[in-house]
Amino acid sequence: MIDFSSPRHRAKFGYMLLAPATILMAVIVVYPILLSVNISMQDVRIADIAKSEPWTWKNYRWLVKSGEFWNAISVTFWLVLFVASVSLAIGLSTALLVNQRFKGRTLARLLVALPWAVPEVVAAVIWAWIYDGSFGILNWFLLQLHVVKSPVEFLADPTSAFFAVGGAMIWKGYPFMSIMLLAGLQSIPEEQYQAAKVDGASTWARFVYVTLPGIAPVVGVTVVMTTLWVFRDFSIIYVLTKGGPLGSTSTLSILTWEQSFAFFRMGHGAAVGVVTMVLCLLISRALVGRFAQNVH
Amino acid sequence: MKQSILGRFGIYATLTVICGILLFPVYWMAITALQPVNKLRQYPPELFPSDPQWGVFRELLARQPFGLWMWNSTLVALATMILSLSVSVLAAYALSRYRLRAGASMGLFILTSKMLPSTLLVIPLFAVFTKLGLVGSLWSVVIAQATLIAPFATWMLKGYFDTISPELEQAALVDGCSPFGTIWRIILPVSAPGLAATALYAFVLSWSDFLFARTFLATSQSTWTLNVGIATLKGEYETDWNVIMAASLLASIPIIIVYLVLERFLVSGLASGSEK
Repeated sequence: MIDFSSPRHRAKFGYMLLAPATILMAVIVVYPILLSVNISMQDVRIADIAKSEPWTWKNYRWLVKSGEFWNAISVTFWLVLFVASVSLAIGLSTALLVNQRFKGRTLARLLVALPWAVPEVVAAVIWAWIYDGSFGILNWFLLQLHVVKSPVEFLADPTSAFFAVGGAMIWKGYPFMSIMLLAGLQSIPEEQYQAAKVDGASTWARFVYVTLPGIAPVVGVTVVMTTLWVFRDFSIIYVLTKGGPLGSTSTLSILTWEQSFAFFRMGHGAAVGVVTMVLCLLISRALVGRFAQNVH
Repeated sequence: MKQSILGRFGIYATLTVICGILLFPVYWMAITALQPVNKLRQYPPELFPSDPQWGVFRELLARQPFGLWMWNSTLVALATMILSLSVSVLAAYALSRYRLRAGASMGLFILTSKMLPSTLLVIPLFAVFTKLGLVGSLWSVVIAQATLIAPFATWMLKGYFDTISPELEQAALVDGCSPFGTIWRIILPVSAPGLAATALYAFVLSWSDFLFARTFLATSQSTWTLNVGIATLKGEYETDWNVIMAASLLASIPIIIVYLVLERFLVSGLASGSEK
């Protein structure tokens, strides 16, 4: 038996401790990524790791020619823009609010970020009920305000379905922004505010010249994280609209799953997924440096 | 900084309005769950139930597959928590105490697990699990979830382990404690709050999973988790919103409780720097 406490074998013990995590990552993440690239190059309906078809560019040719793929690119882009910008606005205002000093702010912080704790599927069904076309409360509200004359089927019309899905995602996504931005706000040294005050800076000037530059890095990271989340999200969209109507909420992620597990065209699905992965990779390059810094 | 009474009132008023709007969906879920079904099919809707039906939960738990789904979700979340925590504790300890070159790839793994489109990952995983005969088994969800959680859990735990002085362990080693024994008897008890926070984080993530369960467990109703069940209920009984909301409420309560506990860990860390 090896004596792990002896200096000679110390590193060996370290690697032994790392082994379970490494093996899991290799089998469940690294190998499947390679496998998915392989599947995207095969003309298969249901992937089978035992037998491999000859490689072909067929799936990628389908992808470039299909309207669904380009539609998914555009839906994803607009959804990212909508969800990220509005959740940033809500996240920042709530973070600024609970960063004030007042009694009970611990409770306020807890409540303001509560939707973070609601499972995505639950969030989706709650919003489905709010949007309901016959007795949903949103319709009732709009009827009271005379915005609409009769109840609207929000999830049946392409435009309203897009904003309905976006709204549900914002509700689920803003708390993360709020939590991160609050941490960012608290890392700004109080002295900077005092110095600005001594120099006669107004509240607005202090916000623009002290607060904003102070939280800019956190804003960058959270916007990228939220963007990646919109790219990857499946639950909310699937439960609300399954990507419909007419593909108006069909993001790349939904298209990947739909091709693979609804139409059983895993070759097509994998091709869409690989393109999505490459896009996510490019987006998250912004994050790589920061993570490497934080880990060490 | 002193605040005027007006300013303080302004803060509370704004907070009440904002929390009221942002939390309305949660309130609406709870209210709808307690309404008898005929009251849900009328305008104007009742903003406060005049006749709450507490029996809906008993009815729901008695409805056969529902209790089973809840049980499955619990099993999956607990197993994921234990599996991801076991591998992460070992990995985090290694990264914290040994100068390993592998540490450099840590950030990459965290990033991969955060960035990888999961709908892409389930395609090859479906093939792998089919081969291993795990499709339809709760283990498929547990293994997939635990692996994706492990990198971040490792990172969280490494942070806690880094704050523990290595002198304690050296003393234990000198006294003849084995290296594993040192982790078990010295490190784990000292880092209990960190372990708890990490465990809860893992629990929340796996309890909320929908994609893996929907993909790997689709074939048999008896293996569904709560989330798959709720999503299906929504499709089937479009009008029984009270039942769906009652189920949703039961699915959210464990997570909301965990959040209220986890938030304390987060806040205490943040607040220590701010409240002078």
